[in-house]
Amino acid sequence: MSIFSTIINRRFKHIAGNRYEKILKSYKEFFLTEEEISLPVIKSILMPIDRSVKTVPEEIYDALSACEDAEVTVVYIMSEDACALIRQTLGEEASKEFRLKEEEIGRELLEKIVLSLENSGLKVRTRMFLGNKSEDVIKLSKERDLLVISRIYGSEITKTTSISPIVMKIVQHVNIPVMVY
Amino acid sequence: MDPTIIAIAVFLFTYALIMSERIHRAVAALLGASLLLMLNVVPWENVPDYLDLNTIFLLTGMMIIVNTARKSGLFEYIAIKTAKMAKGSPIKILLLFSFVTALVSSFLDNVTTVLLLTPMLLYVTNLMELDPVPFLLAEIFASNIGGTATLIGDPPNIMIGSAAGLTFNDFLMNMAPIAFIDLLLAFVFIYLFYRKDLKVSSEKEEKLNLILNRMDEKEAIKDLILFEKSVTVIMIVVVLFFIHDKLNIEPAVVAMFGASLLLLWSKESPEEVFEKIEWPALFFFGGLFIVVGGLVQTGVIESIAERIVDYVHTDSQALVLITWFSAFSSAVVDNIPLTATMIPLIKAMGAFFNTRPLWWALSLGACLGGNGTAIGASANVVVIGIAEREKIKISFIDFLKVGMIIMILTVAAGVGILWIRYIGV
Repeated sequence: MSIFSTIINRRFKHIAGNRYEKILKSYKEFFLTEEEISLPVIKSILMPIDRSVKTVPEEIYDALSACEDAEVTVVYIMSEDACALIRQTLGEEASKEFRLKEEEIGRELLEKIVLSLENSGLKVRTRMFLGNKSEDVIKLSKERDLLVISRIYGSEITKTTSISPIVMKIVQHVNIPVMVY
Repeated sequence: MDPTIIAIAVFLFTYALIMSERIHRAVAALLGASLLLMLNVVPWENVPDYLDLNTIFLLTGMMIIVNTARKSGLFEYIAIKTAKMAKGSPIKILLLFSFVTALVSSFLDNVTTVLLLTPMLLYVTNLMELDPVPFLLAEIFASNIGGTATLIGDPPNIMIGSAAGLTFNDFLMNMAPIAFIDLLLAFVFIYLFYRKDLKVSSEKEEKLNLILNRMDEKEAIKDLILFEKSVTVIMIVVVLFFIHDKLNIEPAVVAMFGASLLLLWSKESPEEVFEKIEWPALFFFGGLFIVVGGLVQTGVIESIAERIVDYVHTDSQALVLITWFSAFSSAVVDNIPLTATMIPLIKAMGAFFNTRPLWWALSLGACLGGNGTAIGASANVVVIGIAEREKIKISFIDFLKVGMIIMILTVAAGVGILWIRYIGV
């Protein structure tokens, strides 16, 4: 260490003591890490919806419109377990009726969301199928860069958590950035 | 042994110890003071004459206010807000951080200001992959220039104000315009000197903008109630500083009132707040006052003043001499002991000259002289020390090349203004 460095360090210790370390510690909460700084490239987005999701806030369309050239896959997943349960308890006809009703709600919702996404300049693909609301989203998200999900997707929110148990499970298992609205 | 020789020897010994930094400067000053008291060079009953309680209590009051306000996250809030306002432009970052540093330094101590703003400045320059050196240098110069502007901005000004009975508004009228012009001069010089290093691509500007926009300055506020109370008390204190002469109260009383009001209102633990007072700095001042008091007591200062008067015959010569002597001396030695020594000297010169411009000359030289070298002022040492910790190299010569020019430019501009004002064209 040069004489200059030695003098500076000695004087710094006399003047500032350990104040700098304390200040730096309080700043650490705000300074993003290298990992947080690197902005992910968003090319494909997964947007699962179901009958619980009545609307998507305008802010979400605004935020997604920043992802130029990205393709949004909007999936409407009808609960296979619910259909099976109705079939077992109320019969095949009731199950069919439930599925038709679900498909109708899904089509309406998909149409509305697709229109808004296209107006935001995004390419959109839609899918509607019978499946597992959490497992299928986790599986589909593996090939996507961003997951956009409503906090009430899958079921109502509980008194103790501000997101539904299904969303909770999904966000704990996916490895991509998640936008919860 | 002749008390005069003892006083000179102790003074030089203390100065040497302070400059060497081998031991803490507060210990050096206390050692010098206790030697003079033990040898009865300064009689115990004369201590109150030399101990400037106005300076010590003003510093204490401001330390309490700053340390309490700091807990609220006020300064982190200012730093994040400043960074966001620059919107990713390097020139705006340079300008805004210089301006904010100067403004905060003019009301709070320079060391706290740079300690709180430097981490944010380094973070921003790192994100933009810019050389941080021009920004750090600009911050140092702005801090020293800002401190010149007010009575409470820099310890030499507090000491001068107390010794000469100058008010907050006196400083504002005389030194603030000089500080403002000097700040602009320093900014233009830094810009011209480093303009090649201040360019970034629009992608980097955009990246920084995006990252900074993800930071919420409101989150920096750890305690909203304390934040609001701190801002209110600081505003009350500033207003009281503006009118302290009309209310016939000393600036130290204003600072102590602000400190006690904030402690009372915020209900912060006094033990915790008092623990954070920079006691070494206060003991350093106390010791120094007695060491310099030894020179006054033995008539050394008076003899030096008489010698000066033999060679200096007019107010204008005295103005130029005091300014440049204190500026170049401040670039090498700590400006606090220098000011402590120069104050009785100027008082002794009062029989022959109009001392009013000389006080401003001392303030100008003592505060701005610190910009001359890397070790000239505490703010320089702190910023360069932080840079070293972050593996950024600012050598003594690198600093000298820019700092000395800035010092000469700003002091010359200040002398010019004082000359026009007090001597006439």
